[in-house]
Amino acid sequence: MIFLMDLQMMLLDMIYYMLRNSVRIFVRPRSKPIDGELVLITGAGGGLGRLFAQEFSKHGAEVVLWDVNSSANEQTAKLVREQGGKVHTYTVDVTNRDDVYKNADQVRKDLGRNVSMLVNNAGVVAGKRLLECPDDLVERTLKVNCHALFWTVKAFLPQMKAQNHGHIVTIASVLGLFSTACVEDYCASKFAAVGFHESLAHELVAEQVEGVKTTLVCPYIVDTGMFDGCKIRDEVELFLAPLEPQYCVEQAMNAILVDQPLVCIPRLTYLPVLFRALLPWESNVIAYRFMGSDKCMYPFIDSTKPKLESNHVIEAA
Amino acid sequence: MLFIRDLLLMLIHLTGSIFCAILTTVFRPRLKCIDGELCLITGAGGALGRLFALEFAKEGAHLVLWDCNTAANERTAELARELGVQVRAYTVDLSQRQSIYDTADRVRQEVGHVSILVNNAGVVAGRRLLDCPDELLERTLLVNCHALFWMTKAFLPQMKSKNHGHIITVASALGLFSTACVEDYCASKFGAVGFHESLTHELHAENLDGIKTTLVCPYIVDTGMFAGCEIRQELRSLIPPLEPLYTVQQSMQAILSEQQMICIPRLMYIPFLTRALLPWEANVATYRFMGGDTCMLPFIKNTEQKMSNGHISQI
Repeated sequence: MIFLMDLQMMLLDMIYYMLRNSVRIFVRPRSKPIDGELVLITGAGGGLGRLFAQEFSKHGAEVVLWDVNSSANEQTAKLVREQGGKVHTYTVDVTNRDDVYKNADQVRKDLGRNVSMLVNNAGVVAGKRLLECPDDLVERTLKVNCHALFWTVKAFLPQMKAQNHGHIVTIASVLGLFSTACVEDYCASKFAAVGFHESLAHELVAEQVEGVKTTLVCPYIVDTGMFDGCKIRDEVELFLAPLEPQYCVEQAMNAILVDQPLVCIPRLTYLPVLFRALLPWESNVIAYRFMGSDKCMYPFIDSTKPKLESNHVIEAA
Repeated sequence: MLFIRDLLLMLIHLTGSIFCAILTTVFRPRLKCIDGELCLITGAGGALGRLFALEFAKEGAHLVLWDCNTAANERTAELARELGVQVRAYTVDLSQRQSIYDTADRVRQEVGHVSILVNNAGVVAGRRLLDCPDELLERTLLVNCHALFWMTKAFLPQMKSKNHGHIITVASALGLFSTACVEDYCASKFGAVGFHESLTHELHAENLDGIKTTLVCPYIVDTGMFAGCEIRQELRSLIPPLEPLYTVQQSMQAILSEQQMICIPRLMYIPFLTRALLPWEANVATYRFMGGDTCMLPFIKNTEQKMSNGHISQI
């Protein structure tokens, strides 16, 4: 029966991929060359975005930088030019979908070709408890971290599909795979980013658009200042310290250049992802309480209070 | 060392909690009494919302019904009144946060303090991403995800001041794992799950043990919302679309026993687990076998035909 044959194929596939991925932990597959690719990075003025721009440029790609902050964006461009890379900057507000579409057309017009790699990196957080958080800040987090993904993908995927060549990278967060207290806006938006990315990836696979790859990057807290103050239990922090931005970007690049579908940085964070699905809720809460992750955002939230009063808004990644 | 002691205590506590969870699966826990509580249900004009209203009414709770469709909402109100509880119906557009806040104020003035909040309203665009009008994509996100924020901001403060309440989020199994062609729905339902879990962690951390939360994640329910969605033929009898009444009854069980989360049917815990456990490509292989990768295609086709006849998919 076809059903049994299909079942057999599925089981063989599953075993093959589990074995292959286990081997890949030790033996990295060859990185793909990205010379001459056109890479667009959102949030390029921020901590991670700047490093991504430099890394992609080092690998020979031409980079297009989008950020809402023109001076930070230009600063990134300067650094890329200093290392000999080709770079173009645009000031874009990704929460405004018309702005996204207009600039996407402008990029195509200015450069005479399509973006072949899209790095959805821009991200913000409100940094306030739900009941104390102004609605506009909540909306902004959702719009930048989640809605913007829809618009940028709609702007650039059709051409990637037409050429059956491209790569969509979503920089989400481990807080898109499991949650913690006091960052409802961020968790909702990053969970949504993960849901969007996975659904899109499933669609591309189902349509057999093999030339368009996807990579979901889920870093733990990165030391860019975005979550300044966030702190877990001291003894646990030895194993799970806030990530160095450079390390985070290097690990992400490693995954992107081998077309890996998902990367959690550091690998240790696959554990809480697994436990969220495996253990009952109460058990997870017990583990959180022990690790200090239930209250890890408290010092971060408390430290954003004075900053927000002087109109300084937490941004970047 | 303090750390070792804490670690040991934690592991003992953890093992205990796993045992408790297994026991609750076997022995039905006692259901709480909600006689006289004020329960607000969004999307009460829809199939699931109506059944929720009737079930809560049977338990003696008074109702506040919200929906954007006045006629359907009034019909639900009529049916619920027949069960002998007080019911008030309000027409609200959940995609507008001011509408939510204004109506919440009216509810507080005209009816009273809401102690049970059932965030049930949900929509889906029903188009592939690249074919979907942006307004429909936004609408799904606004109703399924953003609205949860405004509803919680509107009703949680009073629950906190009394340290008494229950917030129920009706998300979806598609908030725990995804499938092709429903990017808007998956994004919004994942967002709902992320919001709910973060909120629950916060309530826990603040020791507000009087406020309970329940996350309801049903598989596809046979309400017409996903009409046409179908998995591999041989598996259809094993995992059929859920009966609406069964879905609501299972949800009520979970809510009244103050369970944190429920997947309906329990089988849905498996794809949720394998998503976290197996590599991506292995999950794709299982989807392909089960027909999960293409299950939404007939549904999308249905919606496209309806749209060309001038209808829009809604519950």
